[in-house]
Amino acid sequence: MTLSNDNPLRRGLVEDRTSDACSVVIFGASGDLTQRKLVPALYNMALSRSLPSGFSVVGFARSELSTEGFRAKMKEAVSKHSRRKPLDATVWDDFARGLSYHQGAVTDAAAFASLKQHLDALDNERGTAGNRLFYLAVPASEHGHIVKSLNEAGLISKGKAPWTRIVIEKPFGHDLESAQQLNDSIREAFDESQVFRIDHYLGKETVQNLLVFRFANSLFEPLWNREHVDHVQITVAEDLGVEGRGKFYEQTGVTRDIVENHLMQLLCLTAMEPPISLSADAVRDEKVKVLRSLRPMERANVQTNVIRGQYGRGTIRGDEVPSYREEPDVAKDSRIETFVAMRVFVDNWRWGGVPFYVRAGKRLARRVTEIAVQFKKVPHSLFRAPDGGISQNVLAMRIQPDEGIALRFTTKEPGQHTVLREVAMDFRYGSAFGSNTPEAYERLLLDAMRGDATLFTRGDEVLEQWAFIDQVFHAWEQEANAPPPIYTAGSWGPDQADDLMAQDGRRWRKP
Amino acid sequence: MSASTVIAEIQSQLRRSWAPPSGDGPAMTRVTTMNLVVASTNPESIEHYAHIVDDVAQTIPARTLLVSIDAANPVSDLEGEATAVSSLSEGSNVCSERIRLHATGETSLRIASVVEALLVPELPTAVVWLGRVHVNDPTLQAMAALAQRFILDTEYTSITSLLAFAKWTGEENGQTFVADIAWTRLSPWQELVARFFDRDAAPLAEGIEELELTQASERGAKLGSEGALMLGWLGSRLGWKVSRLGGRLAFTRRDGKTVKVTFKSIARPKGVAPLALASFTLKAKLGEDALDGSIVRDLASGLDPATVDADVLVWKIARPGGTPFEQHVRLGPNKGAKWLARTLQRPANDPSLTESALFACDFYDDDVVCT
Repeated sequence: MTLSNDNPLRRGLVEDRTSDACSVVIFGASGDLTQRKLVPALYNMALSRSLPSGFSVVGFARSELSTEGFRAKMKEAVSKHSRRKPLDATVWDDFARGLSYHQGAVTDAAAFASLKQHLDALDNERGTAGNRLFYLAVPASEHGHIVKSLNEAGLISKGKAPWTRIVIEKPFGHDLESAQQLNDSIREAFDESQVFRIDHYLGKETVQNLLVFRFANSLFEPLWNREHVDHVQITVAEDLGVEGRGKFYEQTGVTRDIVENHLMQLLCLTAMEPPISLSADAVRDEKVKVLRSLRPMERANVQTNVIRGQYGRGTIRGDEVPSYREEPDVAKDSRIETFVAMRVFVDNWRWGGVPFYVRAGKRLARRVTEIAVQFKKVPHSLFRAPDGGISQNVLAMRIQPDEGIALRFTTKEPGQHTVLREVAMDFRYGSAFGSNTPEAYERLLLDAMRGDATLFTRGDEVLEQWAFIDQVFHAWEQEANAPPPIYTAGSWGPDQADDLMAQDGRRWRKP
Repeated sequence: MSASTVIAEIQSQLRRSWAPPSGDGPAMTRVTTMNLVVASTNPESIEHYAHIVDDVAQTIPARTLLVSIDAANPVSDLEGEATAVSSLSEGSNVCSERIRLHATGETSLRIASVVEALLVPELPTAVVWLGRVHVNDPTLQAMAALAQRFILDTEYTSITSLLAFAKWTGEENGQTFVADIAWTRLSPWQELVARFFDRDAAPLAEGIEELELTQASERGAKLGSEGALMLGWLGSRLGWKVSRLGGRLAFTRRDGKTVKVTFKSIARPKGVAPLALASFTLKAKLGEDALDGSIVRDLASGLDPATVDADVLVWKIARPGGTPFEQHVRLGPNKGAKWLARTLQRPANDPSLTESALFACDFYDDDVVCT
């Protein structure tokens, strides 16, 4: 974020969201992520004038392709996947002039030496000022090789000008040990301040709004603790199956794919203390404190606090869908979990004794991500209600779809009698602010180019997340022969998940 | 009809708009994030703006009040009606409320109290005043007192009146801030000019020697508010001073050296707003270092006939010993709704607007014409 410091004309500018001149090098340029998300996001940034004048994108991949071919492929991808259509030919032509392709393998020293020459040439031709953002859109197994090759080719500068940064896509390892190894290999070449571990959930407007909602409204924060909150439910539900990614899913499962990163981040943002500022480390320090406060999942407790499941056949939106084991590239006797529910405790002063029930799954009844804070019941009911009591207030923050916030409370129905009825005050982001908001990748790419790591995961956060989740895996390994319960596709998970809540006299929401 | 009767009828219409379709049906819901009042002494302006306000309410759900004021009419009267406006475009289903008021004669002097009675409480209020602003107009003052944000467009009034009004609101009511839609339109230009002086070029901002500003107008036309505010912004950021030596306008840098400023015009194609900024070119030199920068609007290069003014800006920079760079960016269509929405989304208090307007007032005069 150096460009605005000395420039007198940037002081007080309202629309000032551009970065330093730089080259973005995408490893995995022929992959799906590049075509569906990264290049469309960069093009949208060009449309909204967020890209600096000195800018280039270098696609790096193994497949043989010319720069012209790469441009044509990206044009097609942008036409298809950009949120803004149709393609603006003038802006595209300008953007495309900065696109180039570099063929090579991640272990090929010669390819990295010529990449360096190419980037040096771009500094002169495109005014990219020696700044480099390396984006690793490749499997985790290639991360170490790329970092090593970049280092050996002299492509990493630790200075502030020109700068070098690296963006790493999840998964950040496969377990605690591999995450530690990955962190170590990255830190051999990069300082932590240069590393941007991307979890696209953190780029979503509604996730960012969690901080604003909690810390810009004095109304809720006094209630945000064990005195007033009965429990918290966090749900990340998808109605889709593995969608042709059976091979990937057989190695990951929902716990590694969703819980270890997205869901833990949502839990952190819900439970964290107010940071002293919005600086990257201040926010991330508080999230790490939450992770360190999680009550360890000792093996004996995993069975009672963690429920897993795997989807069987069922019906979703009127269509019959196959079971997980019938999906392509999935073992017929697979024990991979496609659903997990957990009862988690944050053992600190604020949350002592308050359970956080979290669940994530595929082929559930509907696609929804939400955080629901359920408040305690009133201490004494003055009103005669048919169900014997008054419903608890619930504050539900919907991350997707229909992003927004709903507050459920009890009110009197008009009439001679005192009849109570639950109503919801419902705020919908799309209705209040329009729907054409930047996609998560646009926000996160620009943040990385600006050097703002607030919405990225720090190395110690990743390790804490794995340290917690690894306990669950270790317990599951002990019961290796126990297949996960099967739940019907289109339901809300296995019955055991309902039992988990019922033991505590609670039940899952059906959001 | 008396004002209180009109208010009661409007409130009744609003209640009916949101009532359940039948006694047992679910309650209708709506979203309202602000009160948006648009006022003018010209009924045609209000008619024209009604569509703009409906568009804005799709992205900023608001109770909108369109207020037409005819103080010269000898008959004192007030008419009003309320309508629910819904749009189902692009999958959104946003309903907002539109209230129309037409005040004549003496009633127009009390129109602010009518408006106040119809505002949604607890929500911020913005008043958009269409046309010329007369600071001492008591109706305008009363309307401004209702608002946290008072919006005008210096394309239709003068920069001097913007400043005078900002001064008045500052003295009378510290809670109201003045915004200018013409100022919002300049934001892409400002960001692009700032780009010339990023990183190692920052010191060159103190070395600007020549500046040429072109607007889309006939030759000899008076400099428009966009050009004046743009130069005001640059001069106020860089600490320049304005003087008139023998009647000639002179701009002086902080180090005492003079900046040569030229105002030019270029033929305005159909579809481009009158007096729109068309180019901004500068030369800077400091020791051995130098910079030539230009931003040229490719007039009427829009995407289709409906957005003919969604022009491309061609940004160019050249430094000694370096490769010249060029970037094409799109301004987006010059639609009233877009600029009003953006003005509403900006911070209410923008001190650089006042500073720029103050600087512009030092040179903005009838004799500043574009050749």
